[in-house]
Amino acid sequence: MSKNIVFLLFLIIGFCNFAEAQITSNALKEETNIYEKVFDVPLQLVDQQSASFDELYAQRPVILALIFTRCTGICNPFLVKLKENLQFKTQENPFQVLVVSFDPRDSVSDMQQLAKNLGLEENKQWTFAITNSISELNQSVGFDPVWDSLRQQFDHDALLVGINKEGYITKKLIGLREKGDLELLIGSVNNIFSPTYRLPNQNSLFSCFNYDPVTGKNKPGLGLIFLALPAVLTTILLISISYSVRRRRQKREQLS
Amino acid sequence: MESIKIRKITSIWIITVLTLFVASIVLGILMRLNQGGVLQQSPITFYSNMTIHGITMIGIWFVAGMAGINYLMERYVKTSYTANLIALILTVIGVLMLWAVTLIGKFHTAWTFLYPLPLKVMWAQWATPTFLVAMSILSIGWLIWGISMMTQVLKKYSIAQAFAWQHFKKDPGVKTPPFILISMITLVGVITCLFVAVVLMALYFAEYFSGGSFVNDALLMKNLTYFFGHTIANEMLYLGLAVIYELFAEVSGRPKWKTSWYVALAWNFTLIFILTAFFHHLYMDFVQPEGFQIVGQLASYLASLPAAAVTVFSVWVAVYRVKVKWTLTNLLFFIGVAGWVIGGFGAVIDATISNNIVLHNTLWVPAHFHTYNVMGNVLFSLAFFYWFSIQFTEKIVSEKFSKLILSLLIIGGAGFLLAFYIGGADSIPRRFSNYPAEFTSAKFLANFGAIFATIYLIPILMLFYNISKRCLKILFSSSS
Repeated sequence: MSKNIVFLLFLIIGFCNFAEAQITSNALKEETNIYEKVFDVPLQLVDQQSASFDELYAQRPVILALIFTRCTGICNPFLVKLKENLQFKTQENPFQVLVVSFDPRDSVSDMQQLAKNLGLEENKQWTFAITNSISELNQSVGFDPVWDSLRQQFDHDALLVGINKEGYITKKLIGLREKGDLELLIGSVNNIFSPTYRLPNQNSLFSCFNYDPVTGKNKPGLGLIFLALPAVLTTILLISISYSVRRRRQKREQLS
Repeated sequence: MESIKIRKITSIWIITVLTLFVASIVLGILMRLNQGGVLQQSPITFYSNMTIHGITMIGIWFVAGMAGINYLMERYVKTSYTANLIALILTVIGVLMLWAVTLIGKFHTAWTFLYPLPLKVMWAQWATPTFLVAMSILSIGWLIWGISMMTQVLKKYSIAQAFAWQHFKKDPGVKTPPFILISMITLVGVITCLFVAVVLMALYFAEYFSGGSFVNDALLMKNLTYFFGHTIANEMLYLGLAVIYELFAEVSGRPKWKTSWYVALAWNFTLIFILTAFFHHLYMDFVQPEGFQIVGQLASYLASLPAAAVTVFSVWVAVYRVKVKWTLTNLLFFIGVAGWVIGGFGAVIDATISNNIVLHNTLWVPAHFHTYNVMGNVLFSLAFFYWFSIQFTEKIVSEKFSKLILSLLIIGGAGFLLAFYIGGADSIPRRFSNYPAEFTSAKFLANFGAIFATIYLIPILMLFYNISKRCLKILFSSSS
């Protein structure tokens, strides 16, 4: 017995040493910094004007996109998709899109060129800017780009941050997202309560309910099986034990 | 009837439970003193203490009930000593790990460890996996114990007989003792909620080690957490009730209680309702469909009615206008039933949706669950411990000693609980390590509660000394 206990203890200690905390899934990353105030950075806009962040969000709620112009990866498709999804949005719930470069090498003219390439230089809903306080901005929204010297590129998320007129982060979206998610984002920056939605994550397999943003209704999900499973297991166990002990008793009686 | 080995292991359970109970009461008093501003603990220390206080209390009174029914079950069937021993060893390992996790690792999610708190590592890196392993060890140990006892019952009684279904007929034939009926009903509930714990831990482990490739559904995890947590906290009360049904009449010098059709019906209904009442913990979760919330409220009402009504009726009939041989054992049982009913009433008030909007997360919550534990379930188990300890040692217990213990228990318990109830009615939130000045009465009530909890601790220490001394004698005795 004592050998078994020692073995078990070794197993537990070994298990703990190899354990690695999983705290960085997308769903959890989207929850960081929510309801915190965004850092009030000075911005250099592409029309050569200067403005502070609080002046911008005080006018209209902001959807902040953080990109860099030399990106060979996600930045361009991310902005194109965002433009596509937002082009038919009415002004029912006002908002503006602020595209800020997080790469210190980017200049105002780089951002101007980006706006032109996207066909957005005349669009009043979109603003392109750079800032000399990007690390403070990144930190306040929970954005953490990592420089890859081999590829000469930043490794980063495609992040959208919703900021309301008081400067509070109301919602974050990571990745290329569909219209339904963007509608929830626009609703949140306008302080509209979102009654229910599932955090976007393809890795969440066992949801109790799956929310359909088109109908606004929940459908039963696989997770409900887990709620019923223990009661089913107990019932099966109860019947199996009862059957097994009765069979043994009968066998014993036959033998005697 | 019972073997010496079962007697000795029951003694170990009793000493272990009482030791941990005293330590956990001290932690509770420290928490109330901190809330009252007398002590200055850091919030992390406060919440670590709160976590281990909650887990320990739930764990020890559950195993106390299990040890009690295991011992008494020997009167009807042969139980497995090995399963009992495995449960004891795994409990000791699990408890030591949990105390290390909270007191050294500063793990502080509260005993409810609501998702995703355990995965948001704000403590030693090793604490989260160790906590999950400890919970798994406890669940598996108790599951083995529960299944083993259920198997032994089923060796003698068929499923229908174990659930006393034959009592619905005019001539039942085989008579199911109330103790067997209640133990069986409770064991099925216990096994179900321990299966839930196993599923819950498996999902936590899956997410923890997936490196982000698997994420749990927060609603599912909350449902599972309360399916396990709420159910085990209630089932441990029913373990205590099984002991009452077996011993109350016996120690009172009254005829032994029998199972009738209404007792069988009440307890069968209890099994169903107790497994669905946990939905009342999710009233504030707007994503939970309304139907589940209604089930939660109905089950909360219906779960408390049959068992409580039948038990109170049975106890009342046993003592009303009849000569009862009152001892410390049956007095503790009697006061415990009263405390259980009062706490249950507080719980039903809180489980009513319209009231829960006001009382949710106020001190009303600890008020009601402390009532049916501090003045209910704890007294059931103490009664059993005391009764057990005097079976094999000298029986001379002074009447003065009994009166003093009961008086201090009632005064200390009532004052301690009153502070919680008044705080709850005054909308003072629970789980605050320090109260801001806006809650004008909070600090006074916290200190008031701490003083009366200290008064409650005195008879517990007296019983601890008295019972442990006897249990040690049983443990080290060689005779049968």
